[in-house]
Amino acid sequence: MSNPLLAIEHLRVDFPEVVAVNDLTLTVNAGDVCGLIGPNGAGKTTTMRAISGLQECTRGSVKVGGHELASEPDELKRQLGFMPDFCPTYDQLTASEFLDHFARAYDVPNRAKRIDECLELTWLAEKTNSLCEELSRGMKQRLVLAKTLLPDPKVLLLDEPASGLDPLGRIELRKILLQLREAGKAVLISSHILTELSGFCNTAAIMERGKLVTFGTIAELGQKMGRRQMSVKWRTDDGKALEILRGANVKNLEARNLGAMFNFDGDTNALDELLKTLVTQNVRISEWRGTGDDLEQIFLQSGAKELM
Amino acid sequence: MKLSENPIFITQKRLTHRTGVLAPILIAALIGASLLAGLIAYLADPLNFSFHSPQEAGKTFYGFVIGVEILVLVIGGFSKISRTLAEERKAGLWDSNCLTPLKPAQIVCGYWLGSPLREFYMAAILAGTGLVIVLLGRLPISLWIGTQILICSTALFFGLLAVLIGMTLQRAQGGIIFIVAFILLQMPSLAMPKFIITNFLLPTYGIFHLFLDSGNSGNDYSMHDWSGQPEIFGLPVYPVLLSLILQFVIGIFLWRGAIRKTANPFQPPLFRWEAVALFAIFLAAQHGLIWEIWRGQFPTANHYANSEQETLSIVHFGTILFAIIILAFISPQPETVRVKVMRSGNRSFGAIFPGSAVSLALVLTAVAALVLFTQYARSFADSWEIYLIAVGNLLSFFLIFSLLLEFCRLRFKRRALGFVALWLFVLCVLPFILAGVFTNGAIGKLSLFSPGIVALDDPNDENLNNLLDIVAAHFGIVVLLFISWQRQWKQLLAKAA
Repeated sequence: MSNPLLAIEHLRVDFPEVVAVNDLTLTVNAGDVCGLIGPNGAGKTTTMRAISGLQECTRGSVKVGGHELASEPDELKRQLGFMPDFCPTYDQLTASEFLDHFARAYDVPNRAKRIDECLELTWLAEKTNSLCEELSRGMKQRLVLAKTLLPDPKVLLLDEPASGLDPLGRIELRKILLQLREAGKAVLISSHILTELSGFCNTAAIMERGKLVTFGTIAELGQKMGRRQMSVKWRTDDGKALEILRGANVKNLEARNLGAMFNFDGDTNALDELLKTLVTQNVRISEWRGTGDDLEQIFLQSGAKELM
Repeated sequence: MKLSENPIFITQKRLTHRTGVLAPILIAALIGASLLAGLIAYLADPLNFSFHSPQEAGKTFYGFVIGVEILVLVIGGFSKISRTLAEERKAGLWDSNCLTPLKPAQIVCGYWLGSPLREFYMAAILAGTGLVIVLLGRLPISLWIGTQILICSTALFFGLLAVLIGMTLQRAQGGIIFIVAFILLQMPSLAMPKFIITNFLLPTYGIFHLFLDSGNSGNDYSMHDWSGQPEIFGLPVYPVLLSLILQFVIGIFLWRGAIRKTANPFQPPLFRWEAVALFAIFLAAQHGLIWEIWRGQFPTANHYANSEQETLSIVHFGTILFAIIILAFISPQPETVRVKVMRSGNRSFGAIFPGSAVSLALVLTAVAALVLFTQYARSFADSWEIYLIAVGNLLSFFLIFSLLLEFCRLRFKRRALGFVALWLFVLCVLPFILAGVFTNGAIGKLSLFSPGIVALDDPNDENLNNLLDIVAAHFGIVVLLFISWQRQWKQLLAKAA
């Protein structure tokens, strides 16, 4: 098993009237983008604040790049980039001055070049000399992302990074996250917008009321949930396809024009077998896909929605 | 890392310059220039002024300069630092800075020296003008050096206090309320300049002393209370030095607290041993200052030329105020205790007591009793009863306050502060109001404040036994509160299980 860049073990955080995070264990390896999913109040932000040391843990351990939070907080800080769910900026500084502040704090080499790179990466090159107070919420969000990327941390914690972004910004964020994934960073990202996460998350952790409901790769989770909604389309309608589907292990079969929607309870192999059956029975399949989004399905099927 | 490379200092400098420094600098320059012009006008035509000598004129104008300088640097600087920190904490920038690899000392220095830059510039202009006034007024240069050192050290001391307050306050305006309250509380102590420690912490005595020391200017008699060197247990100390030592020693505690809280926001600003040490230093210095009045023979022999009989009761009142500030700071939040209990697994009540403010109240009383004894050392056989009342009053007050505070926090949670204030009002202030309403002074003696203050203020009172009874009654309240307090903690421990 590879050495995880982020390892959380039995993390517990107590608030006066509630256990905000309860016995949370998860790992994020290099090159993994892990989606932290859960309804409001599930404990996502508290988890991220606890990992970064901003929230006191009752018990449990957090390791970033092999450095324990409790005993080596200074080493941990160098490996970690945390982007909170709001945009803390110095309103009276320009974008480049804001980044310069953090570049100096992290002692980033070739400061000016790196600042330009990060501004370029977050599509803020034109706003270099604009005051932070003049930036829109989305731009501030991108600036804070640039600040998080500035010291090139190994582990990134991104709390709702897409919440203030316009559609173009979200597409760019997805590109940046894919680049980070390719660069071997470990990213823990929380979001309510599951379709956004689906594009780049290869693992997911679903939380509810402070507890981890499920955690694993997207494929593993799909199998674990054992049920997915499928959409199938065919070119000729001779009733054969519907007959095969009725005979297979499907639920809620809904016939459509030259196609059907159904829920499937079996695992991936069983689903492959069903497709094989349809093809061997000469059904001319033009489309075969899971509807909606995998993460969305996983989330909905996990039952973690009581607080939504 | 040099200060000029400190990113927080650089950012604070940028923010200060962006919002403009020219106007405040010009205001300072205009004030300075007006005062300087006044002196020059006097020197050109002395008969048009009521000053007796250039020195007197110089002192007057320089006095105004340093008055404005103190206002700008100490009060303005304090307010700016605490406000900046409170605002940046609210905006999340404090957290962002704490997550960088910057050392806590760098973060603290960045805010401490960076955020009041505008005030520093203004003070520098005023100090420069002050130097010209001192030279033109033919005053000794030591006056300028001494006063400027005192103003700078005071600004740094209060700046550090502002850092700590900004790190703990919820509201940005809280800092200015704190310093205004401090200055208002200090006002009465001006009546006994040489004997009250706040006149050295906010170095009014040192500054007045320097003025009086810089040559007779004709109208200094009214300020004779400010002349001469203060004594600590009979040992004369140069007042400027005493102010610097006090500010430095207490500054160390403030620095340690600020660093500790920056490194780990869940650490208390003051450890228990630090609280005890701070209390002991304060009290020892305070009793050292008044020692020359009785020289260990309270109340039988007053060695001071002016009768300062009420001084010890004022110190007693100050001791109570200082102790309750410390107890409030140290008293653990129930949630912190619950988490600690869950972490350690030790759910016995015995684990609560050593960490609570109640045990600290006992230690503070022991320290206070020990230091207070210095005033009775040579007259104890005659005045043990007064001593007993004073110490008993301190013990009952400290215990009632800490039990009440923790009980209210456990019982009323967010509404605790209101209930603490209510009960303190009932126990401390209401008896005086009722005494006034019913024109019966005896009711006023029931106040928690009264027994010690009355006994020390009027040690020859024949009704000392009554005061002992009142102290005993106060211990009855302690017992009742202790039972309720213990029950609340036990409920919390049960929850933690």
